[in-house]
Amino acid sequence: MRSFDDISIMFDIESEKLSDMIGIATTKSDLSIPEIIDTYYQIINVSSMNTMLKQQINSDNQKSLLDKILETEKMITEKFNSDIHPRIMENLRKSIQETTNILQSGTEQKSKEDIENEAKFYEELRQKMSTKEFVEQYDKGLSND
Amino acid sequence: MIEDIAKNLINLKKKFATIYDGQSQIQEVIPISKSELFPINQKDLELLHEFTKINPIYYNQYEKTIGNTTCVVYEGDINKYWLNSIQHSSSHAPFSPTWIMSAYVCILFAKKFGYSEVIDIGSGDGRIAFCAKILDLESYSIEIDGMLVELQKDLCSVLDFNPHCSDATVFDYSLLKLPRPLFFIGGLAQMGGISLASGVLEKISTISNIKQNSGWVFAGTYSKKYLTDPKNEAGWGTLIEKNNLKSIQTVSLPTAWTFHESDATPYIFAQPH
Repeated sequence: MRSFDDISIMFDIESEKLSDMIGIATTKSDLSIPEIIDTYYQIINVSSMNTMLKQQINSDNQKSLLDKILETEKMITEKFNSDIHPRIMENLRKSIQETTNILQSGTEQKSKEDIENEAKFYEELRQKMSTKEFVEQYDKGLSND
Repeated sequence: MIEDIAKNLINLKKKFATIYDGQSQIQEVIPISKSELFPINQKDLELLHEFTKINPIYYNQYEKTIGNTTCVVYEGDINKYWLNSIQHSSSHAPFSPTWIMSAYVCILFAKKFGYSEVIDIGSGDGRIAFCAKILDLESYSIEIDGMLVELQKDLCSVLDFNPHCSDATVFDYSLLKLPRPLFFIGGLAQMGGISLASGVLEKISTISNIKQNSGWVFAGTYSKKYLTDPKNEAGWGTLIEKNNLKSIQTVSLPTAWTFHESDATPYIFAQPH
């Protein structure tokens, strides 16, 4: 089992990583599916560490750690939950609708090659849909907070 | 003998999966001729080919000898039907077909168990109902997706398997004459099948004399991707117990969705206790 110190060192590393990811998500308008998934996993990871560490902090010499935790929470609430997360949801919704419209407007007569190329777009659509479901689960969690 | 055909079909699929180098979304094979491994009426085989040849989900076909069996390989794509089916708010499971040879083997079992009608619930392109008709059982196909039902109507030019465009959980089964029916439930337990099966079972329980004479076939999975049912039966154990049914036979057969997997799809035949 890891000691409190180990966990707080890990927290420093992970919150730093999250800060970088949020920085990228703030400037990049269209995150790829793997970037979206990685960012949400990191949010969940760091949020869990926040909760666990806060329960264990009990003395003044850990004030700097508490400040770091509160700072990270603020970053998640103000930058991610209020800005980046709604933007990701909206982008996914639009992107799914656009791809669906394109696929539904295809012509009836298609060659073997056309069908097999188009299958790749369908695969992308499935990935976007399952990512949207995952993101919506996160959103439900926010609503229940 | 039917068990042997099922095993031979599994082996044929395994060999085919190792040599298949195409790019199609779905693919399946049908032997060209009756053989020792597949002692199937030649006329029935021809009808299976006919169904597949005119079925618009397939866009390519070619002959291939797999082991000792010469087959036709059919390559297809169901993406547009998938896209349409997920847009139905009441759709319980997206369309993905079993192999037509698997559908045929299932109906051989249906005959062996003495059923006289087959009701293909969530029937997709209606292949199970079609195979029932080949083997002289009365058949009905119930499908909620209008695009798939239109496709089925075209396929009825070969044999009429009575397609109905309806939500199977509200369909009035008392309109059909069903002295000894076998209900095939489309969809894995974990992919909307439980909800679909529960709805149909509930509907059937309101019709006197049908429930006790009815059989049920559920498509299961042992894949670790899905949560296991505490009562097993490839995901269907709890539903089977809750509805006072008992499993009488499980047969594993190839399906489109297990083509790239080592396990085939277990079909669980159940009947009332």
